[in-house]
Amino acid sequence: MTDEPVSKAFDEVGREREADTFGMWVFLGTEAMLFGAVFVAYTILRLKYPEAFGGGSEKLSMWLGTLNTAILLTSSLAMAVAVESAKAHALPFARRMLWITALLGAAFVCVKGYEYFDDMQKGLLPLLGPFHYDGPDSAHAGLFFNIYLMMTGIHAVHLLIGISLVVYLALPIRIPPGRQPKRIESVGLYWHFVDIVWIFLFPLLYLVHP
Amino acid sequence: MTRRLVYAWLGLMLLLALTVGSSFIPLGVGNSVVNLAIAAAKAAIVLAVFMELRRGEPLLHLAAAAVGFWLLILFVLSWIALRGV
Amino acid sequence: MTLAAPDRSSYWREGAGIRSWLLTTDHKRIAWLYLTSLTAFFFIGGAAATLIRIELVTPQGDLVSDDVYNRLFTIHGIVMVWFFLVPSIPATLGNFLLPLMLGAKDLAFPRLNLASWYVFMFGSCFTLYAIVAGGVDTGWTFYAPLSTVYSNGHVSMAAAGVFIVGFSTIMTGINFIVTTHKLRAPGQTWFRLPIFVWTLYATSVVMVLATPVLAATLLLLVLDRIFGIGVFDPTKGGDPLLFQNLFWFYSHPAVYIMILPGMGVVSEVIPCFARRPLFGYKLVAYSSIGIAVFGFLVWGHHMFVSGQSTYAGVVFSFLSFCVAIPSAIKVFNWAMTLRKGQVSFDTPMLYALGFVGLFAFGGLAGLFLAALGIDVDLHDTYFVIAHFHYIMVGGMVTAYMAGLHFWWPKITGRMYSEWLGKIAAGLMFLGFNLTFFPQFILGWLGMPRRYHTYPPEFQVWNVLSSAGAVVLAFAYAMPLLYLTWALFWGKRAPNNPWEASGLEWQTTSPPPEHNFDVQPVVTGPPYQYGGQAAEETA
Repeated sequence: MTDEPVSKAFDEVGREREADTFGMWVFLGTEAMLFGAVFVAYTILRLKYPEAFGGGSEKLSMWLGTLNTAILLTSSLAMAVAVESAKAHALPFARRMLWITALLGAAFVCVKGYEYFDDMQKGLLPLLGPFHYDGPDSAHAGLFFNIYLMMTGIHAVHLLIGISLVVYLALPIRIPPGRQPKRIESVGLYWHFVDIVWIFLFPLLYLVHP
Repeated sequence: MTRRLVYAWLGLMLLLALTVGSSFIPLGVGNSVVNLAIAAAKAAIVLAVFMELRRGEPLLHLAAAAVGFWLLILFVLSWIALRGV
Repeated sequence: MTLAAPDRSSYWREGAGIRSWLLTTDHKRIAWLYLTSLTAFFFIGGAAATLIRIELVTPQGDLVSDDVYNRLFTIHGIVMVWFFLVPSIPATLGNFLLPLMLGAKDLAFPRLNLASWYVFMFGSCFTLYAIVAGGVDTGWTFYAPLSTVYSNGHVSMAAAGVFIVGFSTIMTGINFIVTTHKLRAPGQTWFRLPIFVWTLYATSVVMVLATPVLAATLLLLVLDRIFGIGVFDPTKGGDPLLFQNLFWFYSHPAVYIMILPGMGVVSEVIPCFARRPLFGYKLVAYSSIGIAVFGFLVWGHHMFVSGQSTYAGVVFSFLSFCVAIPSAIKVFNWAMTLRKGQVSFDTPMLYALGFVGLFAFGGLAGLFLAALGIDVDLHDTYFVIAHFHYIMVGGMVTAYMAGLHFWWPKITGRMYSEWLGKIAAGLMFLGFNLTFFPQFILGWLGMPRRYHTYPPEFQVWNVLSSAGAVVLAFAYAMPLLYLTWALFWGKRAPNNPWEASGLEWQTTSPPPEHNFDVQPVVTGPPYQYGGQAAEETA
């Protein structure tokens, strides 16, 4: 693949590739700090109200959460395969894997949406309707469900951005083929990061015991 | 090449089964410890295999380690400040 | 209007229309975009300060109501911290000089650089709207539950603006970090870098690690305010201290974002005008990183009397004393650089020396505040205000002036009037001390901050402070005028008017669009002054 560097600052393509990868990792570091702060809020409040968090977590559908985790982990596999095939110049196959990644991501969002709807019907989301909760520490359980909605919501926004990026890469748009593997790799890194966030969200929201 | 990716995925699925399965065994605070450890293991697999951190240049390892260290500072000092010791 | 372009090809000549400026990816032009916006914000923040100082001339609250006064100091803080101080040196001098100091043609991600300016401008619109629509009354610190529940100001708008601008900071930080790692000149090892690069790097590390936490905190704040999530609301089980904890996790390192680049500027200016290499170069480099790391460990000193755990107070107090050490090392090294030197007192040097003195003084005041027992009395008094203004204005703004004057010939290809420069520097030093030294006394006497009424016995100090502010305002207006004048009509500058060392001086003044006609190669350590060089690594 003979390429010129994209940025006028670089003389060699190899250097630029290193810079692109490093830049994406630094960006993911910033995202980790952002989610980290939200997780701190979660931690402090959970330590304050263990029964509310345990009781609230029990009301969430663990099986839907498990299904979603499996979906996302599989989407990461699809993404990783896409990156690998792109680097091996098998671009049509890579595109197909990108579509699968996007589809799995969309499936996650659908399951999540259904879950929100179901939670709302059961009266578990104080922000979206009357609150009916019969578990321990009902005074603070609402806080748990608000945090649940907020954290999964922020995650979902990041996932939607990821899906859009993946779809954009999957479309047969005229990008110089030399640039494609790099872009797919960068978006891949982002996708895996969003997956890692969910890897931690799942037990912290769905598997809490009173 | 793709095989190691599939193996990684199998490992992740196994860990998922483990974390869900162990939640049926009442271990008190042990459940949270186990769950977080499993989550960390899953994250490590994604980082090392899917994100190719293992094959990356040392600078990337440094960046990842730095972020890990800073998250530690954030959590530990916040905990000390707000929950006491 | 004739622009300053000399006959040689320079970055000024690459396109003259407004599109060539608004769509540029040249780091030098982007630096100008930032310089213009930041100067405007400086004077907006200054306008708020002017009204504050006028009000404080009399003990009664007669110029403005309580509520309007709250909005004035809030706007002053928000604009000065986030729309001026945080971006100031990095986005202007840093953007312009980092590639030049590395012998590079541009930053690693030029389009990201331009995007960062647009994000900055976009975010600032939200906060400007909030100001125009009536303002915010929570203080720049946005404490809950005032900000989340009780305030009737435009909190969400202002917070949204700061949130967005934060991403501009992060983008700049990522760009600088990657550039420093991947675009150094051949032969330019880390210990051959100028200290300005070290401090920009340290600043960028702090930017990328701290700013996201601010983003998350402001997001939680707005969600709490608009949707009543309750994370910070005691009536729902939330914790207001959690807000303070997360807010200061960012906001303390933020003050190091603000001061580190200033330390870098001073580390360039002093060796040049003392004609001596920087004393203890490696220590200064390490201490820059040390400040960046230690700066993350002390945030609880803003919360000593908030109700956080006393044990935590002890830990944070100890760490706050520790963080002074790397700064002290730098002050010592700057002072030692002067020894046996041939010191000339050109305008940049006047500012740099002023920085060292005022920063040291303000830093010592910080040690008082770091002591738990003393802080109980001094917290939320004018002592704190004096402390941080000595660092931020006496330190940071002075360093900014030093840098602007030092590199103005390089950036514009023009020399400014030296005697006007000296007069303005002197006036600034006098005006600054007259404004802020009385505030140490006021704090010691017990005058609380954020109040516009006070007991009559405090009036004399307030009047002195306000008088100083008049002098200071005049002193700031001077460079705005004579530097702009020089831009169009100043004497043409040679490539290296100060006979300074550093790669940026090896190209023309102003540089061509591609920075260097020949790729510079670095063969020795920096600060080659006085026939000696700074210590080389073995």
